[in-house]
Amino acid sequence: MFDHHPSRGIQRHRELVHGLLALILGLFLLGGGANLGISKSVVDLWGGMLSIPEYPAALLRSLFLEWQARSQDRLVLEDELVRLREENAKLRLLEANLANEKILSELVTGMREARVMLRAPMSWWNEVRIDVGKLENVKEGMPVFHHGYLAGRISSVSRLSSWAEILTSPSLLIPVVVQETRELGVVMGNGEGGVLLKYIPAGRGERTGMRLATALIGEQIPPGLPIGKIAEELEKTPDGYVTYRVEPGADFSRFYSISLEAMP
Amino acid sequence: MIISLLWLLQDILTVLFGGVMQIPELFLLGIVYRLLKDEDEERVWAIWSAFLGGLLWDLRWVGIPGFFTFGYVAVVLLVLWLWSSLPLQGRTGLVAFLLLESSQLIPPLLPVLILGGNTGGSFFLMEQIYALPALLFCLWLYGRHTREAGGTFSLSSK
Repeated sequence: MFDHHPSRGIQRHRELVHGLLALILGLFLLGGGANLGISKSVVDLWGGMLSIPEYPAALLRSLFLEWQARSQDRLVLEDELVRLREENAKLRLLEANLANEKILSELVTGMREARVMLRAPMSWWNEVRIDVGKLENVKEGMPVFHHGYLAGRISSVSRLSSWAEILTSPSLLIPVVVQETRELGVVMGNGEGGVLLKYIPAGRGERTGMRLATALIGEQIPPGLPIGKIAEELEKTPDGYVTYRVEPGADFSRFYSISLEAMP
Repeated sequence: MIISLLWLLQDILTVLFGGVMQIPELFLLGIVYRLLKDEDEERVWAIWSAFLGGLLWDLRWVGIPGFFTFGYVAVVLLVLWLWSSLPLQGRTGLVAFLLLESSQLIPPLLPVLILGGNTGGSFFLMEQIYALPALLFCLWLYGRHTREAGGTFSLSSK
């Protein structure tokens, strides 16, 4: 463009003229292109023509976007699933609690008191004798309560009295459920006044303070009867289970009377 | 032919990655590269190719003709003028790089300058980063071509 060689000078001159002409045309289009009225149809026409070579790219893009949308949907669904599962677990817990309360209220309304007549020192933590028997329709296996909590069950019945094995007895094994986690275990006494919860899997978080209730159907003990709460962790077995000390709702040190279901 | 294919490639890449990443101005980069490489040729083709390519780009992607038409032609004229003005000693790799870079910087800047909007920020930076591999490739090709033609190529001075 700015060379002084004659042939090159002409060439550069031509380039300059063409360049300026193209610039002016460009400016003209810039200034009036939108008002020409033809741009829309030309844009459509040109877009239509280009859609053929662009088709694979457009298809690939739409496939990618579809896959991305599906992945996002899947993530949303997975989140929703987790949320629903948590909600379902809470609802189950609530339902179990309601059922427990219902059972408890039914039990309380249909309860009758029985006095503890004998508690032999040799079997202090194993059994007590109460002053009701076959005449009052007491049956073997019936649950007995103290302060509204399960305290044991009837082990033998005579005409006017019965024996009740209490929770502190090592020979009374009761399947229970941890109400907050729905984990199943077994409650049994240690024969020395303690009540233990066994066979709960280890490593699933802190359980102290969680409530225990009877689980499954065990002879005449219905599920959902409150027992007490978990007090502390005592030991872990090599098999991966934990033994807890249970704080029973029944007070075995002030055990003067018990409640049991009224039978017609 | 190659320039047309570059236009189509740029268009297809924009269809594929538009909205996800900034597509480099491959078409204009190709024209500028050829202007630097084939200096002795008649270069009117470059002006009208830039005009036509810019116009088609406007019709495809902007909707209003003129923005890229004007921008592409302006870049080609700038490169023609600067490159012809420089003596042989001044045509260093750095200058070549800057002229190649002008093809990436000016066209997307023009619509923003004319219509207004955010001229700074990540938009231009990202476009320059995405364009860098293509730009360095052109620079490497130019250096190789210069050395094959018997010249020397360095970044600072010859």
